[in-house]
Amino acid sequence: MYFCCKGCQGVYHLLESEGLDTFYDKLGNTTLQPATARISEDLEKFDLEGFKNKYIKTNEDGLYEIHLIIEGIHCSACVWLNEKVLHKTDGIIEASINYSNNKAKVVWDPEEVKLSQIIETIRSIGYNAYPYDPSLQEERANQAKKSYYSRILVAVFGTMNIMWIAIAHYAGYFTGMQQGFKDILNVAEFILATPVLFYSGWIFFRGAYYGFKNHIVNMDTLVASGALSAYIYSIYAMTTQRGEVYFDSVVMIITFVLVGKYLEVLSKKHAVDTLDSIMGSTPTEVTTLKEGVKSLVSIENVQVGDLIELKPGEKVVIDGVLTSGQGSFDESSLTGENEPVHKQQGDSILSGSICLDSVIHYEASKDVSGSLLTSIVSLLEESITKKPHIEQLANTISGYFSTIILVIALLTFAGWYFINGSFETALIVGISVIVIACPCALGLATPMATLVGISIAAKRGLLFKEATFLETMAKSDLLALDKTGTITEGKPSVLKAETFEDFDPSLLLALVNTSNHPISKGITTYLTEKYDHLQTLQLQNIKSIEAKGIEAGFEGRMLLGGNASLLQERGIDSHTNSENSLFFFAIDNKVVAKYELSDTIRKGAKETIGQIRSMGIEVVMLTGDHEQSAKKVAKEVGIDQVHAKLLPQDKSALIQNFQEEGKIVVMVGDGINDAIALAQSNIAIAMGRGADVAINVSDVVLLDEKPQSILEAYTISRRTYRAVKENLGFSLLYNVIAVPLAVAGFVNPLIAALSMSLSSLVVVGNSMRIKFLRFKGEK
Amino acid sequence: MSENIVILMIGVSTFLGALGLIALLWGVKTGQFDDQSKFIDAARYDGEEELRDAVMMEEKKKEQKKKAQKRKREAEGKKKNYMPAD
Repeated sequence: MYFCCKGCQGVYHLLESEGLDTFYDKLGNTTLQPATARISEDLEKFDLEGFKNKYIKTNEDGLYEIHLIIEGIHCSACVWLNEKVLHKTDGIIEASINYSNNKAKVVWDPEEVKLSQIIETIRSIGYNAYPYDPSLQEERANQAKKSYYSRILVAVFGTMNIMWIAIAHYAGYFTGMQQGFKDILNVAEFILATPVLFYSGWIFFRGAYYGFKNHIVNMDTLVASGALSAYIYSIYAMTTQRGEVYFDSVVMIITFVLVGKYLEVLSKKHAVDTLDSIMGSTPTEVTTLKEGVKSLVSIENVQVGDLIELKPGEKVVIDGVLTSGQGSFDESSLTGENEPVHKQQGDSILSGSICLDSVIHYEASKDVSGSLLTSIVSLLEESITKKPHIEQLANTISGYFSTIILVIALLTFAGWYFINGSFETALIVGISVIVIACPCALGLATPMATLVGISIAAKRGLLFKEATFLETMAKSDLLALDKTGTITEGKPSVLKAETFEDFDPSLLLALVNTSNHPISKGITTYLTEKYDHLQTLQLQNIKSIEAKGIEAGFEGRMLLGGNASLLQERGIDSHTNSENSLFFFAIDNKVVAKYELSDTIRKGAKETIGQIRSMGIEVVMLTGDHEQSAKKVAKEVGIDQVHAKLLPQDKSALIQNFQEEGKIVVMVGDGINDAIALAQSNIAIAMGRGADVAINVSDVVLLDEKPQSILEAYTISRRTYRAVKENLGFSLLYNVIAVPLAVAGFVNPLIAALSMSLSSLVVVGNSMRIKFLRFKGEK
Repeated sequence: MSENIVILMIGVSTFLGALGLIALLWGVKTGQFDDQSKFIDAARYDGEEELRDAVMMEEKKKEQKKKAQKRKREAEGKKKNYMPAD
């Protein structure tokens, strides 16, 4: 058997001895990342008292419980393997890993096994695990999800069964049916509807109760009062054998509205999942230097003024000022820019950035809780739970509407009771007012139109996570755009190439392949597109020169690639200057080629922004990049309002400012740096290939990443909103005619049934008209 | 068709459906649907071996409980035997 490395071989023998080698069959076509040898020196920290207090819970049996995120899982076979290995470990009582978010819950007996041993077991098979705090938020989200799920199951079961009984009912209504059979069907519907109304519909009763306590009439009030009154009326009709029962509309209202609410609960849970993985992947301790002695200190214990050592590849968790050494930092999670930033003595270092290439020392200027990374995560947590939603039109209208209907029904009842003197007639007429007014047309007005709107959007690669977002988006009057990755492609590409002397492009390819710098990647893309049959060459003495370029040798020749300052340093005349980034390639100190690279603006961005502005929407650009390049891009696409050099929380603060001015803000972004701003905005749009966090906190995802899609999102939402307004207008009109008739006591079951279904048909038909929407540039 | 037959038909079919519903609700309550991907993916690895594995875990749990009780009893026993020195 052939193994690519020692690590994989070790894992194989371990699995074979445990009898778990079927893992390799289960993998199928998935290829594994080579297992890396893990350092085990940090294992002791898992058994420390402070660690235990923070992450481990003790349950009533005296067992320990911890939540872990398992790193390195890429398919379901990995989950299987981890679970099996944990099950075989002595002392572990329970181990379950979630297939979708790779979170694990492990319960073990502290007398038999230590946490460090458990972590070591996971590492020994090539994965890694780090603990996270399953804050109440996640547990609550999980519980809500479960409870909704059960309620929906009951509701769907009830609805489906009542529907087929109702078909018999309707058939009997038109062809005639003996009262005896009718009674049987009525009782069966009653039995099925009761759990649906009181178990599944409990959420609406609760919502209506809270609304009542706070003097708000909301959608829940409408649903609860409508369903309850129809239910009471139906019981009355059933027991007195007079009139028709409406159990089917009771369960249908409950089921449809419940499913809509469940989708909202789901989308909230996703956001919580990603937050945990950001916090979990940050180091829990740093190396500090005190009087020349190095020691590992937990990040909570670092004080302002402590000297911290940073090694290549490490993530910064504490803000500070560089004191010795210099190096490049990846600040993409803060500014969105892919290009590393070169820092030297006296420069400030921000947490969240990653040290790329050298060992440096810096002095802490803040403690952990004050550092940028922690404050970003806590801000994000806050804004997810407190996302500002504007009040929705349908809800306000139906709020007023249901109050008015309830009052009218009460007055009707009182009036009939006084005039007619019969309690029974008064009750029937009063309830028939509620029944004819409430359910169908008004209930369907919004969902039907938004459903059509969402499905059209989805066909065009625009995913709206919730129906109500269409309405919010239609009302928005300010669009905030991120620069890198949203207006531009987010990666530099070659604009112009000049060759001074013939050379083998394979040499240049080999040279740029040794670096991960975005400029090198841009050159690689350019070369592979332009030339076929490039060879893979082996270079010697590869040296990367801090923020300037790369140097390497090939068969006695010296290759040099980099920017103008690298050439100057080597005494080569570069004789050009340009506003774009330049990359020179020199062989034996002689420049043979020059490339101009720049981050290109996405196709159609300018036209789209022009069209959006002509719709009367203000367009603003927010970016973490420096002023000059921001202004340049803004000028090219036609944006006058530019805010540059913004840190993640500055972006969010700006959006809050706009909102305080009364604006409804749509924000488009793609990176981790945009996440808080996205969560703060009224509608957040994320690019489909953006960072996970950005996608999860956003309300709309653009799969094809085209700027035109933003315009389309506006068009679709405005059209849908218009249809919603038309529908509401119509159903109000219907009620203005139908309710007085019901008040006057003219409504018999036949008229009620006919007018109800007719009004619903009108609403559905009107919503379907959204499908005729045409987009620019299409026939 | 007599009324009794209609009652019987509706009753039996609803009862059968209700059994299925109860089974589903039990599944939700015991956390079998917590993870949508597991629902689909883990089915591929289901077999005799997995059943044995599950049995093993349950036995482990039982054993642990026994041990914990024993420990508890011992601790209580110690308490009872403890006499304050006067």
